[in-house]
Order: sequence, then C-alpha cells, then structure tokens
Amino acid sequence: MRRAVLTYLALSLAAVVILAPYLMSVQTSVKTPRQFAQQPPLAPPRPPTGENYAELTVGGHTLIPPLVITVQVVLVVVLGQLVCSVLAAYAFARLDFPGRDAIFWVYLATLMVPAVAVLVPRFVLLSEAGLVNTFWGIVLPSMFGSPYAIFLLRQFFRAVPQELLDAARIDGAGHPRVLRHVMLPLSRPVLATLLIITAVTHWNDFLWPLVVTSGARWEVLTVAVAGLQSQYQGNWTLVMAATTLATMPLLVLFTIFQKHIVKSITITGMK
Amino acid sequence: MRRLFLTITALLLTAGCSIAGNDDADGKTTVTFRLWDEQVATAYEQSFAAFEKTHPEITVDVQVVPWADYWTKLPADVAAGTAADIFWTNTSNFGLYADNGHLLPVDVSGDWTKSVVDLYTRGGKLWGVPQLWDSIALYYNKDLVTKAGVDPAALTWDPSRPDDPFRAALRRLTADGAGRHPGEAGFDPKDITTYGFNAALDQQAIMWDFVGSNGGTWQTGDAFTFADQPKTAQAVQYVVDLINKEHVAPSAADTNTNSDKALQLFTQGRIALFQSGPYHLKAVHDGAGFPWGIAPLLDGPAGRVGVVHGVAAVASARTAHKEATTEVLKWIGSADGQRPIAAGGYAFPGVTSVQPAFVDHWRQRGVDLQPFLDSAGGTTFPAPVGPRVGSGGTAYAPVLQQVFLGQLGVVDGLRKAQNAGNEAMKG
Repeated sequence: MRRAVLTYLALSLAAVVILAPYLMSVQTSVKTPRQFAQQPPLAPPRPPTGENYAELTVGGHTLIPPLVITVQVVLVVVLGQLVCSVLAAYAFARLDFPGRDAIFWVYLATLMVPAVAVLVPRFVLLSEAGLVNTFWGIVLPSMFGSPYAIFLLRQFFRAVPQELLDAARIDGAGHPRVLRHVMLPLSRPVLATLLIITAVTHWNDFLWPLVVTSGARWEVLTVAVAGLQSQYQGNWTLVMAATTLATMPLLVLFTIFQKHIVKSITITGMK
Repeated sequence: MRRLFLTITALLLTAGCSIAGNDDADGKTTVTFRLWDEQVATAYEQSFAAFEKTHPEITVDVQVVPWADYWTKLPADVAAGTAADIFWTNTSNFGLYADNGHLLPVDVSGDWTKSVVDLYTRGGKLWGVPQLWDSIALYYNKDLVTKAGVDPAALTWDPSRPDDPFRAALRRLTADGAGRHPGEAGFDPKDITTYGFNAALDQQAIMWDFVGSNGGTWQTGDAFTFADQPKTAQAVQYVVDLINKEHVAPSAADTNTNSDKALQLFTQGRIALFQSGPYHLKAVHDGAGFPWGIAPLLDGPAGRVGVVHGVAAVASARTAHKEATTEVLKWIGSADGQRPIAAGGYAFPGVTSVQPAFVDHWRQRGVDLQPFLDSAGGTTFPAPVGPRVGSGGTAYAPVLQQVFLGQLGVVDGLRKAQNAGNEAMKG
C-alpha cells in the first residue's frame, strides 16, 4: 500500500513537471497582451480572452494557409516514407541479393550524419534543380524513406517466423503477396508507431522548410509561428496561442493511435 | 476505411496547391522583398499597394523571415543565388555581402538620415537605402520617480566620483519587499520588488551608450579594441557594478538570455528607469498601466552619447530584373514609399521629410519623442561595422555574459572577449 502511494506520488510529480509548460502556454494564450505585460507570468488570466485565437484563425495572422500546407507536407511524406521503407525493409530482411548487408550498413551509417551537416549541400542541390520555394522542395528530400524507419521495420520483419512466410510461399504467394498478406497485418503496431513518429517529426520540422521556402506561399506552420516574433516584439500571447493550436492535431493523432503505440513499445522495447 | 482512402487520395491530388496567395504574375515582373518584422511588413504592404498602382507592370512580394533565423537563412540564399531581390539588413551583417560583390551599389539618392547613410557607406559607396533608425533614450515610470524625488531629465553619472549622482538616485529608486533601499541596514538583495534601472548585457541600449558617454570606443577600424581602452573598461565595470554590487538592476541571470525580461519588469511597474529605443514604444504604450515618459540619455564624463542604429534595404547583385528592382528601391527610398512606416508609428523612417509623421503619431498618443531626436542629433556612438563583425559579436557574447554574471572580472573578461571576437573575425 505504502509503496503504491509513493509510486503515485512520484508519477504525479513527473506528470506535473511534464505538463506544466503546456499548461503555462495554454493559460498565457487566453490572456490579453496587456495583462501579460502587467502581471507576473503565473497570474491567472482574468478574464480569459479568445482574442488571440480569433486573430490566428480569422484575423490578420491567420494560420489556416500554413496549416493546409503542413497537412499536405506531412501526408505526402508519411505515405512516401511508409511505402518506401516497407519495401526496402522487406528487401533487407527477407531477400537475398549480393551486397545486401553492406548496402544496409552504409545506408544505416547515414543516421550518424547530423541533418545540419547536409543542409547546405542539399539546398544547393535542390536549387540547381529549380525546386527552391516549391512544395516538392519541402517534401522530396524526405519522402523516400529514412534510415531510422527502415532499420526499425527490418528488425521487426526479421523477427517474423520464417515458417509463416514459407507456408505462404508453398501456397504460391510471391513476394508482393507475402508482404501484403502476411508481413503487413503482423506489423500493424510497428507501422502505427512509425506513422506517428514520422508525422510528428515532419509536423514539427522547422529548419528545412525555413531554408527551402520564402514567403507566404509555401510557409509551413512552424515557420509561420516563428514569424510572429520579431527582434523586439515578443508577441508572447499570440505565440502561445499559436503553439497551442499547432500542438492540437498531434494530440488528436496520439489519442487515435495510442493503443498501438503502447503495444509497440512493449513489443519492440523501442521508444 | 474506403472513405478515409478517398479523402487521402483527394488530399494527395491537391498536394502542391497553396491557398496562400499566388505568384502568377501574368506578364508582370515580381520583385521579392524580404524583412524580419511582421509588423513593419504591414506598412510595406500598404506602401507597395500604392506603388503597384503607378507601376502596373511590377508586383512586389513581401516575405517575412523570422528574426531569430534571418541570419541563418540569408547566407544559404545568397550563396545559392536565391536571395530576395531586395532585403533588409542591419549594420553587423551587410559588410561581408558588400565586400564580396553580392550587393548592388545604390546609385539613386534621396533625402535620407545622414547617420544611417554613414553606417551603410563602405569603400566610398552607399550599399543600402535607409529604411528606419533607432536611437536610445530613457523611459521612466512617473509614479516611481516622483515618489523617490528623482528628476529623470537631470541625471548625470561619473564612475570616478564616489558621490556619483546616478548611483545615489538608483539607490533611492530601488526597494526590497520591506521598503528598504540598497545600502540600508537589512536590505535584502534577493527580495527586490522595484529596480532602479535596466542595466544588462544589452549592447545597443545600455553598454555602448555608457562606453560612449565615458569617452571610450568599441572598435578601431574593423577590429575590436575595447579591452585596450581604460575608459571603455571603466564604463563596463560601472554597468556590471550596478547589477552585482549596487543591486539596483535585475540579475544578469535573468536578463542575459531573456532580452524581454527588462521590458516586462518595466511594464509591470517594477523598473523605474528603462533605457531603450523607439522599438519598444508600442510594447510600453500597450503594456504599461501607469503614467510614463521619455527623458534624455544620462549626461556622462563625455556628455550624452547614444547608439544610433539603422536598418537599410539592399539589392541583390544577382537579381534577375535589375530595372524593376531599382524602381522598387527608389520607391522605398522616397517619402511616399516610407510614409506608411512613419504614419503607422512603427519606426523613425530613413527619409527625413516623413519623420514628422512618426512624431505626430506618438504625439497624438501623448508621447513626446524629442529625446530620441536629440539623442540622434547629438554625439552618437556608431553601431559596429565590418564585414565579419556579426560573427565576432557572436564569439564574444558568452564571455561578456560571464562578465555580467560576475563570474569573470571585467578587465580579464574584456580581454578574453576581445581576443575571441577578433579571432572569429579573421574567419
């Protein structure tokens, strides 16, 4: 009993530490700029105001266009990555071809190269291709799979018992059919995990869209929110409302896939 | 499932379509204009709407890049030749581009504020069209100064005088939770409720102004020489002491990394004297719930000296349409082109003749901007110049932060900072 109390105490403490920043940003988002300027940050909003949210949806700082762009980017990247990564992982896990392991390890080694290091070369490459400030400039570099996704899936595919695949082969299934009817149904949890990780990563991606696009046309959410702050104007109430709004879709996504994620963590031991 | 699939397909088909504006110029030439301030961007939109009426063959696309990442993105764009046709720059960052031939020299002339023209003249050529400028003055909280009996317009400072009047005034303005002032028995520096002054590592608004007012300088040519000048070191020591020894300013632990901290304390009514530029007018006007005013800079051993800094618009040498770009450049250097910036109360405009519009905007709101004009018209301290002064400043910033925290002595710290800065500028 005492142990349970202690456990819950520790857990609630951790929850407070993790949740406090979000709660702060939410409560700042319903304050007027004037109240924010005059009172300490922890003072409760009195009275709560919706003006920041109104400004961000129907006002002059509307986030709807960047939101649409961001949804498109995430959709294309997630679909592209899942399809390409599944195919590649299946090949690396289950097909025999010369140089398979060498290619895999070389590809995996690119995980170790920090993204910033390839930022400028990648930018120059795309600018030579005339893709700067286009939609495809944002998505192309990441839509053909990522080493992380392929590694995760390959490990999972390797753990699938060979007997299942052999049974399918005996029944006359080729590789596409094995993948479609045996591998994928078994891999749902890991695919769900991958989906959410990829979606979150690209939803929050800031540096690449910032560098590759200019202006309102292809502005994604993260860049639009950063643009609310200038050298001397913090616009904190507006920024907090914007970050709260920007986090919302991720929370929804998490709620939908929550069961799968928890399951996949227990299966793979991955986080 | 089927419906989900259809939705996704529909979304995919529309991927790559933006609902935010378009740049289908139908025969028009599009000139891109980049800046970092989304508020001033509104003024430019107004300005360019008028321009496009008289120049139907040109459209101007205003692009805001967040300040925090402006100088990260610009080098990549300049290197790849994808920079905007015209972009804002500050003094720390333009020299390198000018020296490397990335900018078009400005061959139009205008009625521009001379101090800003000087800042952007390099090698005998002007490289930018002055857009706006800042000078420094002293915002004060009327309630607090009246209560302490301090006249903010008559403040003088002298680091060598033991009875320095500014320090004495700040001690009266500073109070702890029990109403005790620094120097009194029982004063608790950990529980200060009202600070006298916003002394902090804010180079433009605080440190360089004190250095200049003490007769020191920061650079000789392009190189940093601040550690070699006793007067500069003395002024920095004075500012650091206000924080760590006199306890009349907020701790550097709070202000070093949060440049908004002092502004917030001022609008909360917890700082009496707030030395800053016109860029904080709007925030103070919107935020302060008490009567406030603006006083001239402090009078020091070398007089009243303040930093004047200006923002200019420069044209990329790799623009694909030089003629249209020059037209736009001319427009934003003209009185009509800059009137929205001034009349909207955003900043002192680079064009001298529309300056009254800015002053009027604030006079109507009961704010007298004369101290800023006096500060700009008097002895000024030049904002840092040189092709790599931006990277030099980045290199010495952490050292100066330690100095302001009191972790490093001023003399040693300045020496270390100077070496780090000059080293970084060698590239």
